Amino acid sequence: MSEPLLKVSNIETYYGPIMAIRGVSLEVPQGRIVTVLGANGAGKTTILKTISGVMDPRKGTVLFDGREVTRQNPDWIMRQGICHVPEGREVFPFLTVRENLIMGAYTRNDRAAIARDIDMAFDYFPVLKERADQRAGQLSGGEQQMLVISRALMGEPKLLLLDEPSLGLSPILVKQIFEIIGRINRERNVTMLLVEQNAHMALSTADYGYVLEVGRIVMEDDCKALMEKEDIQEFYLGVKDEGVRGKRRWKRKKLWR
Amino acid sequence: MNDQVNSRNVTTDRGANLTIYEDPAIGDTIPKMFWSRVRDWSDRVIIREKDFGIWQAITWAELGARARHVGMALQSIGFGQGDVVCVLSNNKPEWVYADMGTLGLGGVCAGIYPTDAPSQVAYLVNDSRCSVIFVEDEEQLDKVLQVRDQCPTLRRIVIFDMEGLRELDDPMCASLEAFMAAGAAHDAANPGAWDAALDLAKPDDLAVLVYTSGTTGPPKGAMLSHRNVIFQCVNGTRVLPEGGDDERLAFLPMCHVAERVLGCYYALYSGAVSNFIENPDTVPENVREVQPTVFGAVPRVWEKFYSGIMVALSDATPLQRWAYEKAIGIGYRVADLRLAGDPVPAPLQWRFKLAHFLVLRNIRRMIGIERCRWLVTGAAPISPELIRWYLALGVDMLEVYGQTECTGLATAMHPGEIKPGTIGRSVPYAEVALSPEGEILLRGDHVFMGYLNQPEKTAETIRDGWLHTGDVGEIDNQGFVKITDRMKDIIITAGGKNITPSEIENELKFSPYIADAVVIGDARKYLTCLIMIDHENVEKYAQDNDVPFTNFTSLTRAPEVTKLIGAEVEKANTKFARVETIKQFRLIEHQLDPEDEELTPTMKLKRKFVNEKYSGLIESMYQTA
Repeated sequence: MSEPLLKVSNIETYYGPIMAIRGVSLEVPQGRIVTVLGANGAGKTTILKTISGVMDPRKGTVLFDGREVTRQNPDWIMRQGICHVPEGREVFPFLTVRENLIMGAYTRNDRAAIARDIDMAFDYFPVLKERADQRAGQLSGGEQQMLVISRALMGEPKLLLLDEPSLGLSPILVKQIFEIIGRINRERNVTMLLVEQNAHMALSTADYGYVLEVGRIVMEDDCKALMEKEDIQEFYLGVKDEGVRGKRRWKRKKLWR
Repeated sequence: MNDQVNSRNVTTDRGANLTIYEDPAIGDTIPKMFWSRVRDWSDRVIIREKDFGIWQAITWAELGARARHVGMALQSIGFGQGDVVCVLSNNKPEWVYADMGTLGLGGVCAGIYPTDAPSQVAYLVNDSRCSVIFVEDEEQLDKVLQVRDQCPTLRRIVIFDMEGLRELDDPMCASLEAFMAAGAAHDAANPGAWDAALDLAKPDDLAVLVYTSGTTGPPKGAMLSHRNVIFQCVNGTRVLPEGGDDERLAFLPMCHVAERVLGCYYALYSGAVSNFIENPDTVPENVREVQPTVFGAVPRVWEKFYSGIMVALSDATPLQRWAYEKAIGIGYRVADLRLAGDPVPAPLQWRFKLAHFLVLRNIRRMIGIERCRWLVTGAAPISPELIRWYLALGVDMLEVYGQTECTGLATAMHPGEIKPGTIGRSVPYAEVALSPEGEILLRGDHVFMGYLNQPEKTAETIRDGWLHTGDVGEIDNQGFVKITDRMKDIIITAGGKNITPSEIENELKFSPYIADAVVIGDARKYLTCLIMIDHENVEKYAQDNDVPFTNFTSLTRAPEVTKLIGAEVEKANTKFARVETIKQFRLIEHQLDPEDEELTPTMKLKRKFVNEKYSGLIESMYQTA
């Protein structure tokens, strides 16, 4: 196997005295979508923040494209080709949609290419074109999500870190956005690390998945195989054996195998 | 203690001198003993349970009233003498209410492990002809409902914790609260009925059924009579002294004879307070909170405490590590003198006091054993090194031996005569002998009634009045008994050498990185071993040494981990003769859980299952040669 585009080894990240990531190793091969599943507080976002340099790990290394990016500042890491789409649709609310996109290209100065990429973004998300001159703060939640993904693409990333793109969106919008994420991956050959709570969407979009629980990886496999596992079905996909009484409330103990 | 206790000396036909205590004031059955305590000690605390983070006390009077209501409720539905109750629950005070309520009517009470599968529950219910089952909660209830069609004797299900079951509408089911309310009403309507019921049981009646996990075939129900239990309570609490001022932790499964008799019933006799753990995962925290004064546990627990301290030390500052090394070094010197039976010179005593004050005390407090008068280990073999470590900390660790079939206790060490590697001497109230084949035999009033529904198994086990334990051992000239292995576990290699796997396994388990091990080699050219790694400690090792891994399986596959365990195996190998060394080993790749058939409820690997389940892996260790 060729060297993966991103290789995270043994990272430990703390919030003050609290250890949020307790030794996580994962790999994202070139051209693939890899997903990290996990409940609230499992440490999914912290992993992305550690990769993009927003937080520094106390231990472990992050190798990107064969080069160590651990403990570098976020700007430098972004210039290496890692763009982070943070959770919660962080647009610049008082800038227009177009200005937001231009902000995403802040490291570039090839005007023609930037204009072409803006058109490309409008191709993926036609609704953004309609709203091009509106302030981003006035967009709907789904449109804002589209905008932040597009803005990240403006940085010409080799690796896109997506933090819960489905958060707070209607099911139909979630479906659309995931379709486009899949297209961007195929058409633009952008490798992706996708963090999600919506396990169903994530597993059907991604190629490979890791399951994170309280800062540790408890399971990893091809997404197809993951979907077959009993624990994943019960705890992440909501497939439930209702039991003899037809209303079982207790949860089986997770065994992760 | 009560001063009405009588003792008598008995010389047996073999010439053994026994000292047997009797306590007529408490009566000759469990209900009589229990109710005499309720009467005499009504205001004293007997049980504590953590509720919303606070340890709440339950007095004898409260415990008695609750047991009585359960008993009267059972009587109101036609449950009577000789009928059987099963309890399917983790340790909770409610377990004791159900137990004492049942026994009060002359009934029989059996425990079922909460980790058992529905099919096993059905087997036990049918084998014991159980008519009423007490279940802990929704999860356990569902197991019973799933199989109740196959359980013709089952008439009623009583649920301790109704969370999530408010809408439950099933004529067979009742909450414990409603059940006890019905019992209270029945009690009020039938004055005198309860006291009459308490007299029903006779000393030789069956009281307690303890199912022993059969490594071959289905579990067997060992029958213990009132006499067995009372005999053990009155005499055993003199071997392992405890009283009303003592605090203990009720954490081993109540389905096991160790907790049921040596824990719970001993405490009901002695008045020691039982502190019920929240759940099996909170044992370390609960020990620290309770700081028990007497503490019996299985080797696995002692190993955990030890490796917890070792791991904490690896993160300690150099000064802390230095202080520990110094202090434990002094502790070891004192321990070794004591083990040799030599006096400890005064200067060393002073240094030990200082070491205790500055360092060892804190380690003991960290574990939760600072106040312990004694620690007891039993139910499985333990590494002598581990006993030495606890002695060096300044706490007496006594190894005891017994089995369900002798109501829990047959040999024990005494604080003054600790001899690691042995299981102590015979208890003074019963006999231990060896058969010509070296099998350990027991005789006395603690020997059980037999196996339920299995007269042929009973006849195999009790022959000429002697209980055949199935353990092979030796007795030295001072009377110390040493177990070498289970009779059926002895390995005979292809070279004809007899090898006792448990000695090697214990040495391996002493490593903080090895949770359990099974040595293989019967009819083979050399010995090999399957190892279950200690997840936490190996994970920590991997993190500290930058070994990349994701989950448990990938951890077991990391070459560095194999190397680490290899080094631990080599370390153990140095202690044995060449034929007894492990030539190959493999790691078990799945994280095992008590619900897996490979593990006993006390987290020991079952040799038989392991041999079958991992036969491929085992074969692979013999192909390379």
